[in-house]
Amino acid sequence: MSETEPRKQPLLELRGLSVSFGGLSVIDGLDLHVDEHEIVSVIGPNGAGKTTLFNLITGVFRPDGGDILLDGESLVGLPPHKITERGVARTFQTLRLFLNMTVKENVMAAQYVRTRATLLEQMLQLPRARREEREMDVFAEEKLGFFGERLMGYRWNQPAYSLSYANRRRLEIARATATRPRILLLDEPAAGMNPVETHEITELIGKLRDEGGYTILLIEHDMHVVEGISDRVVALDHGVKIAEGTFDAVATDPRVVEAYLGASATVTK
Amino acid sequence: MTDLPPPATQPPVSPQIGVDEWVRRSGERIVGPRGALGVVVRAAERTPRIVLLAAFVGLTAAIPALTTNQYIVGVAADTMLYVLLAVGLNVAVGWAGLLDLGYIAFYGFAAYLYAELSSGHYNIHWPTWQSVPLVIAATILLGFVLALPSRRLSGDYLAIVTLFFLEIFNNFTNNGYAWNWLGFGATHDVTGGPTGLTNVDPFHAFGHALTNRPADYLWVALAGFAVIAVALTYANKSRTGRAWRALREDPLAAELMGMPVKWLMLLAVAVGAGVAGFAGTVNAAYYQGVFPTTFYFPLLITVYAMTILGGAGSLGGVALGAIIVNVLLEVLRAPDHARWVFYALAIAGLLVKLRPWRVLAGVLAGLAAFGVVVHAIVAAVWPRGVGGPIAVGPTSFTTHGFLATVIRHWMVLPKHTYTVDNFRLGNYAFVIVIGCVLACTVVKGWRRWVLLVPTLWGAAFVWENVLIEQAPTTRPLLLGVILIVLMATRPAGLFGQTRVEIV
Amino acid sequence: MSGVLAFQLYDWHYLFSELVAGVTIGSLYALIALGYTMVYGVLKLLNFAHGDVYMVGAYIGWFVLTALGAPLTPSVPLVPLLVLVFAAAMAGCAVLGVVIERFAYRPLRSAPRIAPLISALGVSFFLQQTGVLLWGATPRTYDTFDLHHGVLFKDITVGNFTIAYVQIFVFLAAAVLMLALTLFVWRTRTGKAMRAVSVDPEAASMMGIDVDRVISVTFLLGSALAGAAGVMTGIVYQNLNPYMGFGAGLKAFTAAVVGGIGNIGGAMLGGLLIGIAETFTSGYLSSQFQDLIVFSLLVVFMLFRPTGIRGTPILQKV
Repeated sequence: MSETEPRKQPLLELRGLSVSFGGLSVIDGLDLHVDEHEIVSVIGPNGAGKTTLFNLITGVFRPDGGDILLDGESLVGLPPHKITERGVARTFQTLRLFLNMTVKENVMAAQYVRTRATLLEQMLQLPRARREEREMDVFAEEKLGFFGERLMGYRWNQPAYSLSYANRRRLEIARATATRPRILLLDEPAAGMNPVETHEITELIGKLRDEGGYTILLIEHDMHVVEGISDRVVALDHGVKIAEGTFDAVATDPRVVEAYLGASATVTK
Repeated sequence: MTDLPPPATQPPVSPQIGVDEWVRRSGERIVGPRGALGVVVRAAERTPRIVLLAAFVGLTAAIPALTTNQYIVGVAADTMLYVLLAVGLNVAVGWAGLLDLGYIAFYGFAAYLYAELSSGHYNIHWPTWQSVPLVIAATILLGFVLALPSRRLSGDYLAIVTLFFLEIFNNFTNNGYAWNWLGFGATHDVTGGPTGLTNVDPFHAFGHALTNRPADYLWVALAGFAVIAVALTYANKSRTGRAWRALREDPLAAELMGMPVKWLMLLAVAVGAGVAGFAGTVNAAYYQGVFPTTFYFPLLITVYAMTILGGAGSLGGVALGAIIVNVLLEVLRAPDHARWVFYALAIAGLLVKLRPWRVLAGVLAGLAAFGVVVHAIVAAVWPRGVGGPIAVGPTSFTTHGFLATVIRHWMVLPKHTYTVDNFRLGNYAFVIVIGCVLACTVVKGWRRWVLLVPTLWGAAFVWENVLIEQAPTTRPLLLGVILIVLMATRPAGLFGQTRVEIV
Repeated sequence: MSGVLAFQLYDWHYLFSELVAGVTIGSLYALIALGYTMVYGVLKLLNFAHGDVYMVGAYIGWFVLTALGAPLTPSVPLVPLLVLVFAAAMAGCAVLGVVIERFAYRPLRSAPRIAPLISALGVSFFLQQTGVLLWGATPRTYDTFDLHHGVLFKDITVGNFTIAYVQIFVFLAAAVLMLALTLFVWRTRTGKAMRAVSVDPEAASMMGIDVDRVISVTFLLGSALAGAAGVMTGIVYQNLNPYMGFGAGLKAFTAAVVGGIGNIGGAMLGGLLIGIAETFTSGYLSSQFQDLIVFSLLVVFMLFRPTGIRGTPILQKV
């Protein structure tokens, strides 16, 4: 994070992004950028449009206006699996694991987009199919190993529904990293976690950036996590950006305080 | 500034006894079939697949050598065709979780196309090694085309489009004997109409025509099954299989994890169509003819019942399901056998489901008493009501034999002849018994056991007087019942894995 | 000159009678489509068995008709006879629909989407085969031509255009029923509850709506309408067979999709459209292509306008 480097093109850039559902404007003229290797947090009260933002970036919804650029190329209009192919991966606010598949299969499934063997090759067990299968296996173990011992060893062959809540969240992150993304969108990764787990997740996110080299865009409600790990924080309210900056700047911004707590509240430290 | 507790010590590197050991052994507590069935299933899971396949192929191939009864070999050949169909349907329904209701149209399309290419109909007699691969390829293409319109929508729409296509296909095969293109030109006999196409060539392998039916076609179907089973198993273990399973679990999450869901949908339907295509050519060559009525809705329900009963998602399971269902259907053809099947299954069901023993004894005793009492009352009031014959075949009857004697004193058998109108009483009884069965599922406790007695007796009454003789209708009826009951009680079927669903 | 004029008149007359025939059968498709669309709106389920409920309705009507001595020696005058037949069929089908929902679909509320569909398939097949068992596979007939000396089939002629009483009757009866349903859905509390459940069942149950009861009512209404359509089919087209529900169900479902699945007005519109398309195809081209045209309409709509004419896009919550 050297200040002396010339300003590069941001990895992810949203320009004037707007979407409305049934006449209700959910995101309005949003400008956001995430530079490579940055960790940016998006905060805001419920209903501010944060998850909708992720849905727009990943192609689940189509914006009414504005543009979404990954490395300068527009993602708008692409089907979600192509956006993932370009290098965007996400986790979900309410977990969406493949519950009846094993832990390792969840992670291997996500490697579909990075492998090439056709169905015919798989059926005939031609060399490329066999090789890719072995590689996927090793890669999956690698990605799962990122989380220490929790998802290793005997855990590989357990069905995902047998995992504890915190482990499920970790598995979802592991699955997302298996798509070899450039940017990770994490939707409330610390939701429902106790303080010890929250601390671990915070460290993990840092580790994802430092060791994994991922860029991270994060939605979070838990201010400990946001404070602990963000390079930059963006606050949304009713689909509009109301503040941007370091955590301290945003947390004390009167508009942010008003959005969370109401007009007559003040923040004490 | 932070008020979090200090981070915990490093998590233990090796599994902790008492905690992780318990988790590690959770595989042994996975919900799968219990009891005797569970023992079999787990033994099968421990054996390498190739051994199971070899054993199955070996045993089945030996059937023509073990018996000279051509009927049995014929049933085996038919069963192998059903096994192929079930295995093909399993790809779309079991693995990808898609409802492909036009599947039988693929089967029929392939049979008809083979019949057109290798028969006396247009007098082109393509050799087997040319027509069969072409037909399979054409059927795969048809699968792709049919799945295309619904790829942007949910699986429900795929169901409707494919079901409608089946109807169109049936119309076409029935009416295709005077087909003129939108009123121009001469009429062509494309499909032979309701009488179908005959004079279809048998398969030719290595210069020699396969005319030893049914044994030859049993072996052809078996060989095809072996190859297809191996290929599909590899497909299932590969990235495509995982993607299909992810598609079944959560299509949106799968799409967001980079899997091209729409393409995978097309692929699943097309692969299933390919298997059906192979089966279609075998069908046409085996029967040396194709007929429209073969490929109707009832066949679709039959194959679905086999797949669901066997356990959608398990290749071995659906193959076994096909065998069980087809054998059951064959047994039910003869009233004598059907009778035994009914009473055996009823007693077995009671033994399994009624606990404790006192309740079971009570119900059985009550049943016996109820029947005798009703018989006595009816005999006194309406003598004609108990004098009827007991059917053992389409036109033969018996009054002797142990079972027949028991039934004559326990059951009410109105004298009747084999015309539909005289079954009026049986019709009312049928509807009433259905109502009683449904009521049994609703009431609880002792009321249920009490209600069970007249319900069972009524079911036996309906079975004896109506269903046994109407075997061509009873068999499909049972298939429908199988589907409904399985979905409500045991959706994983006999050999499938119980699934956890996100609500 | 007069030859050209005569040709023109002849063409219009045929067009008119085809149109009337199309509207007649379209009204029937609309009635059946309403059941599909309402159930889909509330449960997101394609109730394959609905077409066979229609078939049962036709047979119940036949049963009552023959029990009352019709068509040759009816013991009741025409209007009460028809009322009785309709009432019996609608009541019987309403009960059947509720029973089917209660035993075949309710246990599967929290099962994956494919489970109730397979169950529906089983129910459909079961109903068809029960029909064969109870009434035989040979077609039965209402013989309404003979009813009260065929009064139903008398024509009204205006100029060169004719329309039969029975066609007017079907259209009016269908219109009355659809109007009643619309009033019910938009003006009563239960109707409001139905609309709420079709948008968000969970939220509706939290607002104190008994979702199970609402779903039962939905099935009741849809099945009653299908029963009415069954009786009307018997009256107009005479012949019944246990498999008639299958094809009619597919076309009615297409009507629901074309009009916008989940949308009541759409089902009515779609039904008329499909009926007219089908009749015109068989009238001007060939009856061979009837089913194909309807199928093509389905495919075209699914490819280019999956939400139908009146439908609104469904948002997915991620």
